[in-house]
Amino acid sequence: MIELRAEGLIHVYRTGAVRALDGVDLVIGAGERVALIGQNGSGKTTLVRHLNGLLRPTEGRVLIDGTDARELTVGQLASRVGLVFQDPDRQIFAGSVRAEVEFGPRNLGRSGNDLRSAVADALTATGLAGEEATNPYDLGQSRRKLLALASVLAMRTPVLVLDEPTTGQDARGIERVQGVVEAAAGEGRTVIAISHDMRFVAETFERVIVMRAGRIILDAPPAEAFAASSWETLRSTYLEPTLAAEVGDRLGLGSTPTDASLIEALRAG
Amino acid sequence: MAGRERLTNPPLMNRGVPKIVGRPGPTAYHRLNPLTKATLATITAVAAVVLGGLVGPVVLVLVAVIGPATVAGVLLRLIRTALLLSLPIAISAFLVNLFFFPGGEQVLLRIGPITATAEGLAFALEILARIVAISGAVTLFYLTTPPADLVVDLERRGVSPRIGFVANASVQTVPAMVERAMQITAAQRARGLDTEGSLWRRVRGIVPIVGPVILGSIAEVEERTMALEARGFARPGRRTLLWSPPDSVFQSALRWGLLVALLALIVARVTGVWA
Repeated sequence: MIELRAEGLIHVYRTGAVRALDGVDLVIGAGERVALIGQNGSGKTTLVRHLNGLLRPTEGRVLIDGTDARELTVGQLASRVGLVFQDPDRQIFAGSVRAEVEFGPRNLGRSGNDLRSAVADALTATGLAGEEATNPYDLGQSRRKLLALASVLAMRTPVLVLDEPTTGQDARGIERVQGVVEAAAGEGRTVIAISHDMRFVAETFERVIVMRAGRIILDAPPAEAFAASSWETLRSTYLEPTLAAEVGDRLGLGSTPTDASLIEALRAG
Repeated sequence: MAGRERLTNPPLMNRGVPKIVGRPGPTAYHRLNPLTKATLATITAVAAVVLGGLVGPVVLVLVAVIGPATVAGVLLRLIRTALLLSLPIAISAFLVNLFFFPGGEQVLLRIGPITATAEGLAFALEILARIVAISGAVTLFYLTTPPADLVVDLERRGVSPRIGFVANASVQTVPAMVERAMQITAAQRARGLDTEGSLWRRVRGIVPIVGPVILGSIAEVEERTMALEARGFARPGRRTLLWSPPDSVFQSALRWGLLVALLALIVARVTGVWA
């Protein structure tokens, strides 16, 4: 299991353009569950794309377990950091669910029983077991998104990065994603998710990083990130606290970022 | 679940609505009516071929391409794009004519069985001048006219919106597909696809990239069709345009004038009045 570190990370897409990342310093320890939030265009996706070498820093550096990411090929990085993209239709190509999920682990050199068990575990975790022979385009959009998640999960990378994993998911789909995050963290894997779904963030992650204009403006556990004292910071990047946090504050119950913590506070009061 | 939905990303509602429509161009040349610029490009290209020779096309390039491109401030981009566009055909046409021009007598260079002749060189330069004029004229139009502006303008002039849409969609599809292909490449590289290794590995990597590009585009056609229907695209009758590119009597006269000049040139060439 590995540690991720960004030092003075700056990224400019085109010379003269705005800095998509404007000096990011960050350490994420092995096994942490981290949510990355902030308005559209605040640099979240740019930041995570540096973690697997899809983007290279304009200035500063990224260290993957102490090694400068520049010294690793995208192939080597893919075995360490698995990144699930927002749009499943921009990656699904195979004729069956099984072939789609096998693609990643095969690229990393897995075969035989090792490959079979990786695929089976990923399909079970995402609720797609039994669909091995299905054509991915016969699944609905939300299940295709879970398939994309499974296809990266099967790579068994020590770090898992999810870009907007709950978009378009119903309550059950969100629970599945939560289950995947918890199971991965339980195995000691690091999970980083970009999300605009504050309830999902508050319920699923132990650390919340808030970004605005290419910088980190808040880095705290959910109870602190969604506490009334942080609302101004959240709103400065067009985010809203969870409903539970607002209700808890109105009722003077302190910081209650999740439904569960609100109910608990109500019971105690 | 309303509270949850509220905070997720908005759906891709405005896809396909050209944001560039109605934005005035940065320079006077940009602000010309799209049809004027299209006429200019067409006439430059056709005239270069009709004129032939070396002097005619070169003067045309200077007057109708380099001049306006300088006014529009796109000269450097124009040279780069026009070169990219015409280089393969220009090089092959130049070499073929230089070495295989029939009946050339003044030998400039001999490489084994093939010879380059002065007559071949002269002809190759003429062909080159025409290619440069055509690619320059087309590129100038492309660089100074948002495709949607031309479509709106044609629709105002009574051209069927279907024709306009097809023309516009085909122009817009290319950058959209390039962007899609780039995102797909990124997603597959994140899954360990080797796009930098040996030739065989790279060839094998084509399927996971081209597959989603094609599947996605096909899926999008259906979505686009339904989105258009939902907005009354197939509805009969004339549409009210909320905006259309401005035109002027002067520009209209210019277009007709250019057209008449071109026709006169063709007639003069065909009848041999002007050789």
